[in-house]
Amino acid sequence: MSGLGLILRAARVAFPAGVRQFRTACPRPAFAKELFRGTFRKEEVFPYPEISNEELEEINQFVGPVEKFFNEEVDSKKIDQDAKIPQETLNGLKNLGLFGIQIPEEHGGLGLSNTMYARLGEITSQDGAIAVTLAAHQAIGLKGILMAGTEEQKKKYLPKLASGEHIAAFCLTEPGSGSDAASIQTRATLSEDGKSFLLNGSKIWISNGGIANIFTVFARTEVVDKDGVTKDKITAFIVERDFGGISNGKPEDKLGIRGSNTCEVHFENTKVPIENVVGEIGGGFKVAMNILNSGRFSMGSASAGMLKKLIEMTAEYACTRKQFNKKLSEFGLIQEKFALMAQKAYVMESMAYLTAGMMDKPGIPDCSVEAAMVKVFSSESAWVCVSEALQILGGLGYMKDYPYERYLRDCRILLIFEGTNEVLRMYIALTGIQHAGKILTGKIKEMKKGNVGLALGTLVDRLHDSIGRKVNLGLVGKDGVAHPSLEESATILEKNVYYFGVTVEGLLRRFGKTIVDEQLILKRVADIVINLYAMTAVISRASRSISIGLRNHDHEVLLANIFCTEAGFQNNYAIAQLGKYAPENLDESIKKVAKQVLEKRSYICSHPLDRTF
Amino acid sequence: MNRVRMLSLMPVWGSSAGRSSLLARAASKQNLLQLQRRSGLQNSWSVPVRCFQASTTFSSSKIARSVQGDKDRGKSAANRSLTVVEELFEREAKTKATFQQAVDVFCKREIRRRGHVEFIYAALKKMVEFGVEKDINIYNKILDIFPKEVFVPRNFIQRMYNHYPRQQECAVQVLEQMETYGVMPNKETKFLLLQIFGAKSHPMRKYQRIMYWFPKFKHINPYPVPDPLPADAVDLARLSLQRIAADLDARITTYQLPHVEILDSGKVVDYPHIIGIQSPDQRSLLACHNPERPVFVEGPFPLWLKKTCVYYYVLRAELLPLEERKEEVIDPERNFYYPMQLDIDLERDEWEDEEFDIDEVEEGPVFAMCMAGAGDQATLAKWIVGLQETNPVLSQMPVVFRLTPGPRELKSGTDLEENSEEETARSQSVNREA
Repeated sequence: MSGLGLILRAARVAFPAGVRQFRTACPRPAFAKELFRGTFRKEEVFPYPEISNEELEEINQFVGPVEKFFNEEVDSKKIDQDAKIPQETLNGLKNLGLFGIQIPEEHGGLGLSNTMYARLGEITSQDGAIAVTLAAHQAIGLKGILMAGTEEQKKKYLPKLASGEHIAAFCLTEPGSGSDAASIQTRATLSEDGKSFLLNGSKIWISNGGIANIFTVFARTEVVDKDGVTKDKITAFIVERDFGGISNGKPEDKLGIRGSNTCEVHFENTKVPIENVVGEIGGGFKVAMNILNSGRFSMGSASAGMLKKLIEMTAEYACTRKQFNKKLSEFGLIQEKFALMAQKAYVMESMAYLTAGMMDKPGIPDCSVEAAMVKVFSSESAWVCVSEALQILGGLGYMKDYPYERYLRDCRILLIFEGTNEVLRMYIALTGIQHAGKILTGKIKEMKKGNVGLALGTLVDRLHDSIGRKVNLGLVGKDGVAHPSLEESATILEKNVYYFGVTVEGLLRRFGKTIVDEQLILKRVADIVINLYAMTAVISRASRSISIGLRNHDHEVLLANIFCTEAGFQNNYAIAQLGKYAPENLDESIKKVAKQVLEKRSYICSHPLDRTF
Repeated sequence: MNRVRMLSLMPVWGSSAGRSSLLARAASKQNLLQLQRRSGLQNSWSVPVRCFQASTTFSSSKIARSVQGDKDRGKSAANRSLTVVEELFEREAKTKATFQQAVDVFCKREIRRRGHVEFIYAALKKMVEFGVEKDINIYNKILDIFPKEVFVPRNFIQRMYNHYPRQQECAVQVLEQMETYGVMPNKETKFLLLQIFGAKSHPMRKYQRIMYWFPKFKHINPYPVPDPLPADAVDLARLSLQRIAADLDARITTYQLPHVEILDSGKVVDYPHIIGIQSPDQRSLLACHNPERPVFVEGPFPLWLKKTCVYYYVLRAELLPLEERKEEVIDPERNFYYPMQLDIDLERDEWEDEEFDIDEVEEGPVFAMCMAGAGDQATLAKWIVGLQETNPVLSQMPVVFRLTPGPRELKSGTDLEENSEEETARSQSVNREA
């Protein structure tokens, strides 16, 4: 019997059901940021987070009816064709309480934890349009009130929002401003009596813009800072449609999630009382950032839910369709695709619930990096998997008579909204590097100054690395937390984590603070750390499954090992590339090609049929 | 020297192998030989080529000497034939057709093509005069004068020595002139050379070299100048401005098209063209410019497009003095998604600095450029007035005209002294004019 089982059993005795481990130190140093230093905080991620039996029962009570509703009463095809969610469907969602999943019970919501929110997200994602409508409402639309609102604001707005009587929308994007706060043009000017603001400006691509009654709007306001200088700063407002002066453009015609309402929202001299400022005046930037950072984690479970459904549908097809007297499912290339889908679904599910569990722990959790990693991984995997599913179906998948092409269209948006994956990769890498940089600055400076002892120490370390170091971060071995079936995967992870730390230190030494401009490098850093987190999640989850004897845990072990081995290879490759200089790892050439193309703004090669004589 | 080496080699071959076997060897190795020569291997087989190259100066000087000798002997025969040749080109108007005619006349008159080398040299000289120096067909026609198949070597000795050197050299001269004017030989040229001199003759080699380099150099200029250049001054101005601006966002504005107005009093007023260019970046630079500081209209600056020279004017400002420069600070609350700056006290390693150490001279910003049919201040003031429409801030700035005497003033040449002084005018006066 492994030591792990003992630990788990001990943990079970120490923390009876319903009582969660409690930590007093807050905010807790986050797991992902520490990875950048080559440190593996195993107590954060082992054992895999669990919910109590009561909570499980509670959530299952919700899941049943919601699943039934989605299976029987939601006509996704019609929603997609009409580009509108019918009122009955919306009413059904409201009756199920799905508009107030995370709103506390005292304000009329369900008051569910992040984990349970993720669980419900799995089901609501069966229809992309509904999932986006719900997410725009509660993951970002009303999050401002929930996170930074005053007690009065909560009392006034949350009950109606929870019941779905009012729908919320999040108004940040403007024609000239995607991620750039400086180009926000919407302006709120304080009236002479100082009791209200006049809001003017336009916002574009607002989800729920046409059906919402409550808007969280970000606008420029003049703020006098402590030096007495007047400055433009962003402020967040709660704006009711009844305040007047609000008009909508017509709903946008989109590639996917067509049933969700996306349109322009114009504000013309909308009078907003000063009580409706969210947070402080001039503190809107922080509010926006916090809302955006907190809304992302659920995308993992949502994609996983969608993917699980898709696996069912395509497996049905592959096991019945015959070619050359053989079932499709007997062909190796088809089997490979199913293995891939299962693996990706397993990984994103593991990541999503690990993150949700971390967020549910008491204290002030800072899981924004983890949430961003979940979003990037799950959106990209979902796109790949849906594409592979379509491939299994062949021509059938391409036909509008079947739902598959809709899945493809719907899931394309995942890579774009709530922060594009590119932007999030920068966030992941830079946040981690900032964390590591603060701690390592002293050491690197010493070395650059020519501290012989330190330099020698590092040299010996690198020598040790190059002849094959045995890394022990406490995952395997005597006190290991990973199950022995996953020993190989865990060893790969340990090594990757260690060398990743070494690489980050090297990057800091090479680039210092100018690394913000090295996007190709940052992308690799982000890719590695996403893989590390994914590996951690699957090893942790699979270890738990084996230890408590969940059904089909051997299958989980297979998936975990496949993923970890592949991800390990990817990481090693990326780490090797990060150790090279720009001319060797092709970055220079890539940049040059892009520069030449962009200079001429076209593809500049001569046509293969061109001649010079 | 080469010739000497080759001669000394000759008997060795002769003695080591019989003559017939040598021939056979030469024939069987013909393909190989070609390869060897291409790759420039300097073995005994390529000696004849080198021999020729070494002897070109030698032989041409000999020709020169012989020509001199002719002259010394009495300017009888050579002189007469030259005048005849010259006469052929002096008859009518100098066009492509008459040039062709002259060649035809020579070919008809000299069935045996006597004096064709002299004729070709003369024709080459006259090509520029007739404006056909860039016409491949004319070059082919000139090559066509050579009698066919006479100069093709028939045996290995002829091949080894310089067979008909004067004729070969003359053909090389034709190809050289083509090279000078950038005329690419075509299939017909190749065919003619093959017919006249054979596959491994010097003109053929020259042809091959041209065909090796010319295609490589055809697109060497990343900023090709259209050929021919537009004749219209307005079109030419547009083209030139786009060339200097080198910004795809830059927009051309026509402030004034050239036209002539006849006043009631009968006075004729000539309006020159004014074409300007400005990019959005330049516009925003101008918008940020401190209205207290003057902007300058400077020019004319020359721009050469092949053989044409055009002149342009720029609107620019002086570089800000150091104390007025503001360092751009990135607001930490700028990006909703990721930090734009890191709070780490570490600089970039010098090993990562891959840029060359270049001394850069900073210049003041250029806000707009224009080309005008006339370089006087009144014309350029119209340009500034036009710019004020798209750049309202310009009307608040003092505009100083710093015009140097341009080519047009030089031509008139009378008030050179006055022009060289700086002409200054406040923008208020410009506004009044508007």
